[in-house]
Amino acid sequence: MLQLVADGLVVGSVIALGAVGLTMTYSILRFANFGQGEFMTWGAYLAVSALALALAALGLPEMRPVGPFSFGWPLILAMLVAAAGTALIALGVDWALFRRLRRHGNAITLVIASFGAALALRNLLQFTYGTLPEYYTREIQIAVRLVPRDVLGGLRITPDQMLVIGLSLVLVVALHLFLARTTLGRAMRATAMNPALARVAGIDVEAVVRATWIIGAGLAAMAGVMAGLVGQIRPMLGFDLLLPLFAAAILGGIGSVWGAVLGGYIVGLAESFSVPLLGAEYRAATAFLVLIAILLLRPTGLFGERA
Amino acid sequence: MEAALSYLAFFLVFAGIFAVMSLGLNLQWGFTGLFNVGVAGFVAVGAYASALLTGPPEPGRLGGLGLPIALGWLAAMAFSGLAALVVGAAALRLREDYLAITTFGIAVVIQLVALNAQALTGGPFGIQSIPKPLVGLLGTGFAWNLAYLGIVLLVLATAYMALERLVASPWGRVLRAIREDEAAAASLGKHARAFRLQAFVIGSMLMGLGGALYAHFVGYIAPEDFLPVLTFQVWAMLIVGGSGNNLGAILGAVIVWAIWSVSGGLIREILPASEQARGAALQVVLIGVLIAAVLLLRPRGLLGERATVSRHLQGAPHNRSDATTK
Amino acid sequence: MTPALEVRDLEAGYEPGLPILRRASLAVMPGEIVALLGPNGAGKSTLVKACAGLVPVSAGQVLLDGRDITRVSPHRMVHEGLGFVPQTENIFANLTVAENLELAAAIVRADRRAKLGQMYALFPDLARQRRLSAGRLSGGQRQMLAVARALVATPRLLVLDEPSAGLSPLLVGVVFEQLRRVRESGVTILLVEQNVKAALALADRAVVLVEGRERLEGPAAALATDPRLGGLYLGAAAEAH
Repeated sequence: MLQLVADGLVVGSVIALGAVGLTMTYSILRFANFGQGEFMTWGAYLAVSALALALAALGLPEMRPVGPFSFGWPLILAMLVAAAGTALIALGVDWALFRRLRRHGNAITLVIASFGAALALRNLLQFTYGTLPEYYTREIQIAVRLVPRDVLGGLRITPDQMLVIGLSLVLVVALHLFLARTTLGRAMRATAMNPALARVAGIDVEAVVRATWIIGAGLAAMAGVMAGLVGQIRPMLGFDLLLPLFAAAILGGIGSVWGAVLGGYIVGLAESFSVPLLGAEYRAATAFLVLIAILLLRPTGLFGERA
Repeated sequence: MEAALSYLAFFLVFAGIFAVMSLGLNLQWGFTGLFNVGVAGFVAVGAYASALLTGPPEPGRLGGLGLPIALGWLAAMAFSGLAALVVGAAALRLREDYLAITTFGIAVVIQLVALNAQALTGGPFGIQSIPKPLVGLLGTGFAWNLAYLGIVLLVLATAYMALERLVASPWGRVLRAIREDEAAAASLGKHARAFRLQAFVIGSMLMGLGGALYAHFVGYIAPEDFLPVLTFQVWAMLIVGGSGNNLGAILGAVIVWAIWSVSGGLIREILPASEQARGAALQVVLIGVLIAAVLLLRPRGLLGERATVSRHLQGAPHNRSDATTK
Repeated sequence: MTPALEVRDLEAGYEPGLPILRRASLAVMPGEIVALLGPNGAGKSTLVKACAGLVPVSAGQVLLDGRDITRVSPHRMVHEGLGFVPQTENIFANLTVAENLELAAAIVRADRRAKLGQMYALFPDLARQRRLSAGRLSGGQRQMLAVARALVATPRLLVLDEPSAGLSPLLVGVVFEQLRRVRESGVTILLVEQNVKAALALADRAVVLVEGRERLEGPAAALATDPRLGGLYLGAAAEAH
């Protein structure tokens, strides 16, 4: 029981972080970006490359773990590099594709384009990195027993998993403060609400769009690294998370950061609790059930303003 | 010579099957503006439905009823239509991009079921020995390929003519009015949703039929035949050929399948076996770039929508581009 | 004297080949309040939106203090000194009142404190509601916030698209009274109005637009009694039927 909650929170943290990026691009750019999952995959793999480069540059044969964790400082550095690299990819795709379509086409053309871009990005990644799974570290981690077995089934969790939960919360709080306090953050909220008025009010909407891609893709990349840290780094990592991401973003209400976070935890917990019920192989279908339920019952989501 | 002809027949069968799916998508997207990202899912439902109903019994698996193949194809359409009815009823009331997300989801779930519901779908190994029509009469050689090509072309021609009549009928005009004029759609209210749902279901039935045609041509199906890349191929066909035009949908199927086959052949020829997976990835990137290029440079595709509709577009007080740039 | 705003032979519309403005011209002198009147569909809103850079201009010029701003992008207009208040959805409903104003101040890098102080002095209602989400303001308060938001950027010219739309007669009076005070602080005003009587009572001068061209203009007081004014409205109405 408790174990399922913990597992759900770990997966939920990854989903939450990806869904926050998705909900932001959705509300500001006004289309459902099917490429968000690929940003996660690219983030995870770019971190693999950055890690290898960092270790080579430092002349280390392998990463020395820090404290109780399975990894060391170079991975944190690699994660930041990966976030920057993924943001560049997003800006590149926007420049080559979305920016032009925004000018002429309608929102649904952008969705098709993002579907095409997602497939191209995924296959470009397979072309570059191959299809074999990768790992940041081969260190074996001992799970810590937080709750003894006789209390609600007990709870074991690895320090890495705890870090994933904590770090995603820190990132979301940082994003919240950014959106609430800074001029750029407020300009982003204003643009999401009313892009026409934003322009009249003197907001450079193209600059806001760029900032949105940087933040959305950067968060996705970091979520991808975390997913890779507690699991496997595979070419389908992000694609498999896309449906949970959408479910979480819609569940929370498009445009709502805290909604996406809560949605991420709910989808993560639902997946985790579905395993004893439906079996591990149907875990991925849970997100779809959540999605259908929310569309039927409350399509604006928990904190949504518009349908 | 015969090898070349045989390959041509083989190629055309596939192109024809894709054209049936592309026609289905054209009814949904081209004429009604419904964004279906789950094409592969509806194709899979049709393929599995027909295979299970017409195939021989298999120990430990449901189905295998040995029904006539024609019945299997009708059932394929029925089951895909049913799946579309469920999805459409849930998602068509909402913003258009929610349909995209929901259809994406249903395709993922269908893929999961295909992989894991061993008792129904045979799991990762799929279903073998799906009966081929007329094979008792013609054997499995060139003659049979040719006969199957005839069947596919007959189905395609029937679907094409039926759709042409459908979109020219009052029903089709209402569809376009709903697509192009938000005000008209709003004034129709619930009826607009019913029209959309009908178009969505009929389009998905054609995708299911395409799946069945595929299953009975190849003789075996597996989950990996219905990956998202299939959805993407059909989309590429429609966009390249020109959405809103049934001939365009067929032309696009032939062209994109030709590009796909040639590039696939080149990869097999040029690359060593160890690099083939990477080559296949590059092939998808190529199609991805193609779709993006057409969207940017020739958004109406090769043939595009016909003049009757263009006139309507000019006369409409709120055409699509206007409605969305506000 | 250079006009604060000069529109010269402006041709503009939403779709190519279908101009709504047909070589319209007008001028607003510094310190004036000018009302832009005319029947429905005359192109009043199109004209002010074209000035703000929101509608593509196919011919003609818009000059602000003698400088050509015809094809300046909308978000640069604020920096050029032109403040525009759209007719509807003219506040950021998901931000608080204070955030609406602070954002406007930050965009032009104005002194936030001083600017907000000025606005709260001008619109005491807003000061009381500063922490409220702007979406929960009443209609009149929304209009005040929209005007205040534009004023934060210290425009030399304030352009309003039907500020009285959707307001009760009492509130129209309140909002117009505030516009008068805004003018006293040295801001030139051009406003589109359907409410002819209220507009002529507020404005110094009025321009009447019919079918995309200016047809009549003069001092507000004179126009208020000019029989031709009613004729232009009626004529357009008769043609529409």
